[in-house]
Amino acid sequence: MKLALAQISPHLGDVKKNFNLHIKYIKKAKRKKVDLLVFPELSLTGYLLKDLLEEVALNTEKDRFFEEFKALSREISLVLGFVEEKEKGLFYNSAAFFSGGKILHVHRKVFLPTYGMFDEGRFFSQGKNFHTFSSAFGKMGLMICRDFLHYGASYLLFAGGSEIIIVLSAAPGRGVSEKEGFATCKMWELMGEAVSRFSTSFVIYCNRVGFEDGMSFAGGSFIYSPMGELLTKASYLDEDFILQEINLNDIRTARKKWPFKRDDKPEVILEALKRIVRRDED
Amino acid sequence: MKINCAFVEKILTTFIKEELSKFGYKKGILGLSGGLDSSICAFLASKALGPQNVIALIMPYRDTFPEDVKDAQEIGSLLGIQSRIIDISPMVDAYFSNFPTQNRILQGNKMARERMSILYDFSARERALVLGTSNKTELLIGYGTIHGDMASAINPLGDLYKTQIRQLGEHLGVPGKISKKVPTAGLWAGQTDEGEIGLSYAEIDQILYHLVDERQSKKELISSGFKKEAVEKIISLIKNSEFKRKLPPIVKISSRTVGHDFLYPYDWDK
Repeated sequence: MKLALAQISPHLGDVKKNFNLHIKYIKKAKRKKVDLLVFPELSLTGYLLKDLLEEVALNTEKDRFFEEFKALSREISLVLGFVEEKEKGLFYNSAAFFSGGKILHVHRKVFLPTYGMFDEGRFFSQGKNFHTFSSAFGKMGLMICRDFLHYGASYLLFAGGSEIIIVLSAAPGRGVSEKEGFATCKMWELMGEAVSRFSTSFVIYCNRVGFEDGMSFAGGSFIYSPMGELLTKASYLDEDFILQEINLNDIRTARKKWPFKRDDKPEVILEALKRIVRRDED
Repeated sequence: MKINCAFVEKILTTFIKEELSKFGYKKGILGLSGGLDSSICAFLASKALGPQNVIALIMPYRDTFPEDVKDAQEIGSLLGIQSRIIDISPMVDAYFSNFPTQNRILQGNKMARERMSILYDFSARERALVLGTSNKTELLIGYGTIHGDMASAINPLGDLYKTQIRQLGEHLGVPGKISKKVPTAGLWAGQTDEGEIGLSYAEIDQILYHLVDERQSKKELISSGFKKEAVEKIISLIKNSEFKRKLPPIVKISSRTVGHDFLYPYDWDK
């Protein structure tokens, strides 16, 4: 299976321009015979929207962009990010998976960072679930940026049977030291390695680049194998397009060596969580 | 506090290039004093935009700092950027002949604002965006003139402490005599930042780094060995200069107000 990551710099608040940017990368990926092309978080709108949210919000049933992506997905599967107006006046930070002429799944970001430099909770409605879904490539799960840093979210996708975890991200870099890259880049890579290894799944992380109001999006997109090996990594800071052939059989191989999936006990975890949540309510 | 200079250089030059291009500008303009911060800004702008797209204005008042003017000119020709000397004495003297004062801070602030006024005039004449040169240390302790040297369209240096600026200067190849200069706001001859504050930049930056970046409390800093008076001095400088880092508060009357709940990105539609 051939994967591609489009590490782009979306235009803030300009859906039409971003649509064209997507088309450019989709054409490129099709020429390279790519099976699945992944874009970053809010790839159709840009990140720091604030009150612009309502102007760029889309509805998967009504907006023509989705018809075009659906049509294109007959030849190449796509994952991209957008502002979704699911119901009137409710805006979600969403990601859609297109394949075979249809939208197979929409994930709505659950963990909206609202602290320090982030203010997502002020503008977005909160998603409520982590579903897995079947695709031509196996069972998939989607996460958006901060979702991935809450390891409970990865566990839910693992327990739900995911074999390929896709993370769309718009992660600004912060913290510099003597090493190359931002301190936060290491944090994402650490999570990528750990989640892929212990869920014996592929982890595909597509981040964006570019600047918005002085925020520097760090790039450094990557793919980890189900054995926790780094298969490829995009450059920091620069727009990039990476291609990676993956072997879906690696999931089977990894799970034979490391039966974390077989030995998982979701029913124990569920009961324990219930007890913890109940106790917290007291 | 050590930085990977090559990586930081890449962030800063990409930032300058992208921000200017978003706003439809090719050229950047800055005030070049002959000190380290503005020299570094000139180096970065030159790399980001090409020397032909950088305009440096050297704006001395009378003959107060002849060495600095020479050093600024040297930076200009070293980089091959357009540099130009504009003497601000006639404008400043005309003002103070009407409103005389011996207060050196008033004089210095007026000069800083005169330079800002010229930079913004040339910004419009030359279609060049004003590049800021205030570093993180100065911004935090309020060591700059509001609406003067603190004014700019974009600031590539504002998240680097003075000690990090020095590392970057060495990496970029800023001539040694400039990087070794004792930092001064240039308010009057013989004035030095460190003399005025009573602490070295190394000490100030260590305190700021622990307070701001590491989010430590005053108590934690003192118990880890920083001098109580020094920490208190820095905290009071930060508090008393918050107004310089903010737009003025607007009294809220309507249901949607600029600065309160009318919230759009700076890069709106760019």
